[in-house]
Amino acid sequence: MGRSESRAVTTPVPSRPSDTLPHPAARGMGEGRGGGLDRRATFRWLYLPPLLWLGLFFLIPLSLMAAFSFRANIRGNLLQWWTPTLAHYTSLAATGSYWRLLGISALMAFGVATIAVILAYPVAYFLAFRAGRRAGLYLVLLLIPFWTSYLLRVMAWKLMLGTEGVINSFLQYVGLIQEPLTALLYNRNAVVVTLIYVWIPFATLPILAALQRIEPNLFEAAADLGARPFQQFRRITLPLSLSGVFGAFFMVFIPTIGEYVTPLLVGGSRGSMYGNIIQDFFTKAANWPLGSALSMVMLVTTLLLVFIATRIINIRDLLE
Amino acid sequence: MKPRKSMLFAAQGLMLALALVLSACGAPPPATEAPPADLTGSLTVLDWAGYDAEDFWIDFKNTYPKVTVNFEIGASDADIYGKMKAGDQADIFHPYTGWLQFYVDEGLVEEIDTSKLTNWDKVPDNFKKIGQIDGKQYFIPWDWGFTSVLYRTDKIPEGVDSWSALMDPKYAGHVSMWDDGPGAVTVSTYIHGYDETAVTAGQLASIKDEWIAQRDLNLFYWAGEPELVEGMKSGDVWLAYAWQGAYALLLGEGVPVEYANPKEGRNSWVGVYGIRKGTENYDLALKFLDMKLAEATGNNVVNLFYYGHSNQDVMSGITDETLKQAFSVDDPDILNKTNFTPNLTADQRDAWTAMWAEVKAAP
Repeated sequence: MGRSESRAVTTPVPSRPSDTLPHPAARGMGEGRGGGLDRRATFRWLYLPPLLWLGLFFLIPLSLMAAFSFRANIRGNLLQWWTPTLAHYTSLAATGSYWRLLGISALMAFGVATIAVILAYPVAYFLAFRAGRRAGLYLVLLLIPFWTSYLLRVMAWKLMLGTEGVINSFLQYVGLIQEPLTALLYNRNAVVVTLIYVWIPFATLPILAALQRIEPNLFEAAADLGARPFQQFRRITLPLSLSGVFGAFFMVFIPTIGEYVTPLLVGGSRGSMYGNIIQDFFTKAANWPLGSALSMVMLVTTLLLVFIATRIINIRDLLE
Repeated sequence: MKPRKSMLFAAQGLMLALALVLSACGAPPPATEAPPADLTGSLTVLDWAGYDAEDFWIDFKNTYPKVTVNFEIGASDADIYGKMKAGDQADIFHPYTGWLQFYVDEGLVEEIDTSKLTNWDKVPDNFKKIGQIDGKQYFIPWDWGFTSVLYRTDKIPEGVDSWSALMDPKYAGHVSMWDDGPGAVTVSTYIHGYDETAVTAGQLASIKDEWIAQRDLNLFYWAGEPELVEGMKSGDVWLAYAWQGAYALLLGEGVPVEYANPKEGRNSWVGVYGIRKGTENYDLALKFLDMKLAEATGNNVVNLFYYGHSNQDVMSGITDETLKQAFSVDDPDILNKTNFTPNLTADQRDAWTAMWAEVKAAP
């Protein structure tokens, strides 16, 4: 049974041109003897589509962007050879406000990721250990917001936070305030609040996966040894779910550094993030080289931050 | 009987066949060119979102019903320029004043053979000039409008008579500027009387400081007109840099607004159409542009978008009071109080957009 399955998988894949036509018998024999090897070859073929996809739509554009950051301007043919210049990097190095904004964006991303993870953890815990048979239903409910567009969800926050919005109307109705609060919308806090909301369901998923992987009999063993519930959580659940926690953290942190849609909609004049500056150079300035240089700076900075973080964080050791 | 009947059928069949042949001969195709209704082919237009609606090319659709028109959408002037630069194959594209010189410099636009445009003589000369670069007609002017300060008369009863109102601390938290560097530079040059075509590095530095200070008064930079209209309607925004489309929309909704006539003059912009250099559909593209200038299309631009149209007959035919007010049709002096946006150079574009990015990134 297993053998015929492996044949069924391997035969339709003509790996090399020489395999294709003249010697069906010889091919069949080869399969019979080296099934294991062939299966590995098959998996290599399965890697091909994602690799091609990544290459075409990620690596090549990324390399082009890196190359463009060394181009003086976009005059003349886009693919003609140009003499590399560091002009954009030197002008960036001299513009302190961009670096400051990158720092602010990283801090905001850190805050958003931390709070989103802290808020997502109980949700994941509930789904993993308390929801029981309804866990699937709750998970679907959690993901319902994703059925609507991201833009709509951010626009909804404008309705919540605006001067005639839900929060202001309620506070005025109950008499807590006379004049609407203008500080709710169009600033960095509004951006942070909205982003946390957007990320909580995302952050829940890796934590949930990690919690579900914990062997239930570990808890029985802990209880047998006299561990109280909080001790069980601190010594077993939390340490074993940390991989999911860090996964969730970085899944939120990395895209948030470069975020631009949310600040555009709810950030107001003072709420711009680094991603808005990059976007402006591409869509409002036709200055792709400078935009590319800004992007490369962000990419390298993010990679460095993540690298440093993975080096520093050894919380697992601290907890044990 | 039988043979005769069959003969009758045969004769009828013959006559029918003859009639068909005769009728076909009676309408021979013209030797030179197919009539408009039979002309086939396809055109691709790179335009802004909304302009792809049939209302805005209805004359072409009615005259050449068999020609397929495809649309690609660009988000901004920089976006459209970037797409054309990257080799977009659209036959026709729609940039705005300020961004025209680049297409000529980079060899992306074909000269227009205006002798083939039947509606060309309806376009006033001052509009025609806007599409001329280096003495050649590269673009046909199409839609146009004003930029000025739009304000709520209930919140600012004293009125607005200068662009500097956008920087008046009195209105802190209730101002909204357009999210655009060149637009900000234009406003500052009007206020300070700088020459917009020759802004010095020193002037640009002070313009940057001016807008960084303005940012504390500014509620949000608007990117699209609906965002601005919503802000002014709710009363959060009292005054803004605005096009008259927003003015007409708010007037139509009964919001108390006024469109200022600043002492420095209003700004005015013009949208133009150009034909891509090297297109295989040059003649068809010319026909499209000719029909873009026709009256039904122009009326739709005025009535649906509240923008002006380059066909003089369209503009003089406006009777709606709201629209007359929006275009200041009854003010014979209005065009003298207007400054057309000049073409940017590549250096100005890079310096002014970078200035704006630094304003937004400033501490």
